[in-house]
Amino acid sequence: MAALLLLGVSFVVFIILFLSPGNPFNALLKEQAATGAVSDAAKRGLSVPSSWYTQYLSWLGNILKGDFGNSIQTGLPVLSEVIRVSINTVYLTAGSMIMTLVLAVPIAVLSARRGLTPTNWFFTIFTYVVSAIPVFWFGYIVIYISIHQFGVFPLASSSSSQGWSWFHFMLPVIVLGLGNGTISEVVRYLREEMSRVFAEEYILTARAKGASIWKHSFKEGFLLPITEIIASKIPFLLGGAVVVEQVFSWPGMGRMAWQAAQYRDYPLIMGITVVAAIIVRMGSLMQRVVQIMVNPRASRE
Amino acid sequence: MKKYSQISIKVSDFSEVPFWKKANTIDLICVGYGLTIFILVLVSYILGATDFLPGDPQKLNLALLMAPPGTEGHILGTDFVGRDILSRLIIGIQAYFLPGLLAIAISLILGTCFGVAAGYWEGWIDTIVTYTSNLLNSFPRLVLILLMVAAFKPDIYYIMIVVGITNVPAVASLVKGKIQFLKQKNFIEAAISLGLKTRSIIIKHILWHNCRAILIIQATLGMAEAILMETSLSYLGFGVQEPTPSWGNMVQAGSNYFLQGNFWPSTAPALAILFTIMGFHLLGDGLNNILEGKRNK
Repeated sequence: MAALLLLGVSFVVFIILFLSPGNPFNALLKEQAATGAVSDAAKRGLSVPSSWYTQYLSWLGNILKGDFGNSIQTGLPVLSEVIRVSINTVYLTAGSMIMTLVLAVPIAVLSARRGLTPTNWFFTIFTYVVSAIPVFWFGYIVIYISIHQFGVFPLASSSSSQGWSWFHFMLPVIVLGLGNGTISEVVRYLREEMSRVFAEEYILTARAKGASIWKHSFKEGFLLPITEIIASKIPFLLGGAVVVEQVFSWPGMGRMAWQAAQYRDYPLIMGITVVAAIIVRMGSLMQRVVQIMVNPRASRE
Repeated sequence: MKKYSQISIKVSDFSEVPFWKKANTIDLICVGYGLTIFILVLVSYILGATDFLPGDPQKLNLALLMAPPGTEGHILGTDFVGRDILSRLIIGIQAYFLPGLLAIAISLILGTCFGVAAGYWEGWIDTIVTYTSNLLNSFPRLVLILLMVAAFKPDIYYIMIVVGITNVPAVASLVKGKIQFLKQKNFIEAAISLGLKTRSIIIKHILWHNCRAILIIQATLGMAEAILMETSLSYLGFGVQEPTPSWGNMVQAGSNYFLQGNFWPSTAPALAILFTIMGFHLLGDGLNNILEGKRNK
């Protein structure tokens, strides 16, 4: 299923670029030879397939061999470039996912367990406020505070090894973790799932026996919803990472995607889209594995 | 006689009591706040469309740069070239309103069609719809939009088409789940056995009577989504372009002065975004709790 989906991903990416009005040849030839005869000659010289499906198949064949082509802007091979920067993005998104969960899980557990008391109501409103903040404006606030309170300008690459590097690493993670706009949804989903599980009869039985409710509700009420929410929020985090990497000059995939979009660097943005889709699918694969571990019946679906 | 009246009260308990009397106070507050924001947005759109503004949104006033709110003649102050922030905020709605509606229309119409097809007929149609939903969910939305921007041009309508299409899976799965739930109910079976047309069962009995609430909720969430997406893209330089104001490019332009300590030009539109998004989210979630009865205990 995952392989079939990635095939679909490659096809969608190809179709979008195939339908685009701009011609990659113009970018390649730096707009020097837009006339028909010259570009036809260039196409023949580079042995470009004529029809769309042969183009797609040859492109797909190259991708399967790991050859995403070279970036128009830098001339470097796309795949190694994207993999090099995607490590940074994975750090950023994983860190902010943990940040989001650290905030959201206690609020969700409290309000599922105790109902909507004034304290929980305050926290819930807080999550709504936080997830409505424009993320880059929030980033600017954090930068401003860090300059004026700590005297540090946090626009350094994640690879800097000075004494403040952990601080540089933490700020984008905090900003993306708070400002990715999903906290209120995460809290809401976890709370609903947990209240549903708490109302199940086996929890009632456990409570009547005096057994630990947490132990009994952990798998269905905690592990499953959390992996599910992680898997479904990875695309949002990768999207938010584009903006946050821009604010903090973080050398990641999102920043590279932005540069590629600016210079209409087709091979690069195609490669980034495919790699991002692979990361997303890996997230749902993980969710599936946890689901089957918790509930072996699910493997028969 | 008394007995009959008691029975009738019980029946009316079930159906006649208006939903706002059964609802939680907190949910009503949420919906009230959201509706206020919604009406404000609507009024501002009409004010902007009829050019009925407190000041000229494009007129520069170099004598009065970055005036704080409350200045004479500029209730919300002026930005970094002395333009009236309030008028720009009001006219900034124009940038979202129609594109946002387009995104909502696409996601609702396509999502409903897919959801109905997958939920009502199941089988291979369901397989295809599930596959397409998973496929669309595999793309980070902003990356897909950047791909579209690179391939076509940075136009707000193209961007909103992508936003609409990427919202389709969410709507489709909601509608599908609702229909699978409804199909086990007796009234659908009764409608089928009475020989009603499939079309009228789907449109009247399923969509109109049972799905309009979730569709309205999805519409409000879709509007919030559209505004946030435009804001992010404005920051990246692909949103609505200056001098046409949108809230996103107002924050972006103002944030160049943020680190110097001039907060207001970017804070005003950022707060506008914050309150609006919060309004739409609370409206959607509050309506969900009230109409779908998630918290009726």
